[in-house]
Amino acid sequence: MAKVLVVADIKEGVLKGSTRELLSKAKAIGAETAVVAVGHNIDPVITELVAAGSDTQYIADDEGLALFSAGPFAACVTDAARQSGANLIWFGFSESGKTAAPRVATQLDAACATDIIDVTLDGDQIEIKRPAIANKVIQRVKVNAGQLVAVVRAGAFETAEGITGTENIVALSPPAADVKAVVKEIISDASGEIDLADADVVISVGRGAKDQGGVDLVKELAGDLNAGFGSSRAMVDGGFMPHNKQVGQTGKIVAPTLYMAIGISGAIQHLAGMNGSKVILAVNKDPEAPIFNVADYGIVGDLFEVVPILREEIKKVRA
Amino acid sequence: MKILTTVKKVVDVELNINVENGAIVESGLQYVMNAWDENAVETAVQLKENNGAEITLVSIGGGDDNTKIIRKGYAMGIDSGIQIDDPSLAEADSFVFARVLQKVYERDGYDLVITGKQAQDTDNGQTGIILAENLGVPCVSNVIAIEVLDDQHVKVSRLGDAGTEIVEVALPAVITVSDSINEPRLPGMRGIMMAKKKKIEVMDLAALGTSLEEVGGTALKSQIAEFITSEKRQAGQKFEGDAADITAQVVGLLANEAKVL
Repeated sequence: MAKVLVVADIKEGVLKGSTRELLSKAKAIGAETAVVAVGHNIDPVITELVAAGSDTQYIADDEGLALFSAGPFAACVTDAARQSGANLIWFGFSESGKTAAPRVATQLDAACATDIIDVTLDGDQIEIKRPAIANKVIQRVKVNAGQLVAVVRAGAFETAEGITGTENIVALSPPAADVKAVVKEIISDASGEIDLADADVVISVGRGAKDQGGVDLVKELAGDLNAGFGSSRAMVDGGFMPHNKQVGQTGKIVAPTLYMAIGISGAIQHLAGMNGSKVILAVNKDPEAPIFNVADYGIVGDLFEVVPILREEIKKVRA
Repeated sequence: MKILTTVKKVVDVELNINVENGAIVESGLQYVMNAWDENAVETAVQLKENNGAEITLVSIGGGDDNTKIIRKGYAMGIDSGIQIDDPSLAEADSFVFARVLQKVYERDGYDLVITGKQAQDTDNGQTGIILAENLGVPCVSNVIAIEVLDDQHVKVSRLGDAGTEIVEVALPAVITVSDSINEPRLPGMRGIMMAKKKKIEVMDLAALGTSLEEVGGTALKSQIAEFITSEKRQAGQKFEGDAADITAQVVGLLANEAKVL
């Protein structure tokens, strides 16, 4: 029988939606489920970890784990994987997952796949699907090893209703600190902002916004909708938006219910980060912009003119 | 400081990719240096310019395209180029590549390995991290800045989930870089001409002192069974005209047709 170990994604004390999605998928394929949570002051989310569908909770809670450090984080996951005997170890789509998965796979001598969108089991034979070449193709991959460590692409699995778990807490011993790669500090993103990964609506701003004034204008729209506020590469390179807001193949991959691309032409690298969105709205003054090839709704116009109207009209329909 | 930078030949992602019978149609494809590896080479060259370093570039793969990529590295400022050309590596995965790179690392000894954070063709982002894990050296991925502290330490900034992580790393180490770290230079004519005369050390696995079996190539942990064409999103409705009219119309559709407002 399949056993899935899901690595809990906890940010600023809040359990991210991906953990529930992964546990739902594990239940859907009839697997035994376990979760591993690594950090400090995890107690408040344990009830949620159980409710999300885990039947065993491996908890590595230590002051030394308060700041994310890839080595110790991976060591905890490997420890939980060994104790649980899981043949599938899943990370949610995150930078910590992307850096830890290859380490855990090496430590376990398991196979490793990032960005998976599907997994099937035929007896012990594991098979996955994942996009490649900037989403232009899908690879179907046969796993020869008995164990797979994978990072699941954002939005690939859905949370199911009526999932429950059982509380069965196993405390993990804290790992040794990494003395060769010492995390001195973490300069936090503006906290309190909506996380792109979890937002139902994501609004991204591109070159069409020209400068800070344009960025601020689009940000007001994001504020109205309680939306995650992302960016194309151009606005990050221009210094108008922080690196961690870049949506695209190399940045954040998002799959919200509604994605608004405002003043974004739609380079292939950007499309690879958002074309899994349910509905896409594009605003661009160039009618030939490639973003319109993937947008469900397109407004050809100058964002400086369109965005204020968009704000008013949205307020009307939501009133 | 001795730097090893690893560079991969990838298909140009701007071009159309066609799939037939579970395989990618090779004809019409063009190959370029993986974009993030260009950032890796640029990082190495800047360290050389600012702190002094000797840079070796290694690329696994054969053919003229691969030679061109190594020559581009020379034009950017590397000191020596190695090409591991062995047809038996055609099906290799990240674990196998990591073992091959380990052989290169162990043959010559390096202080710092710099790779791109992922390759544009596979988007795996695994090889550099696995290499570090096998070598037992520290690894920081998704690096957006690097500074040399002394002969034995570098300070790097990594874009993580909670913000920018500032990490002090003891050498030897592996770092994988984001495209945010720099803007790779465009080599000048003189550099390109000079690069044509540079020697590339071409080796197969035997010349590297290893075998397909030793690098794990005969017991792959996973294999691509087939390629499938991605479902393409279809273009929807595009509105042109008076901004007030069309915006109101689209908001109506978002609310009533798509039901996402």
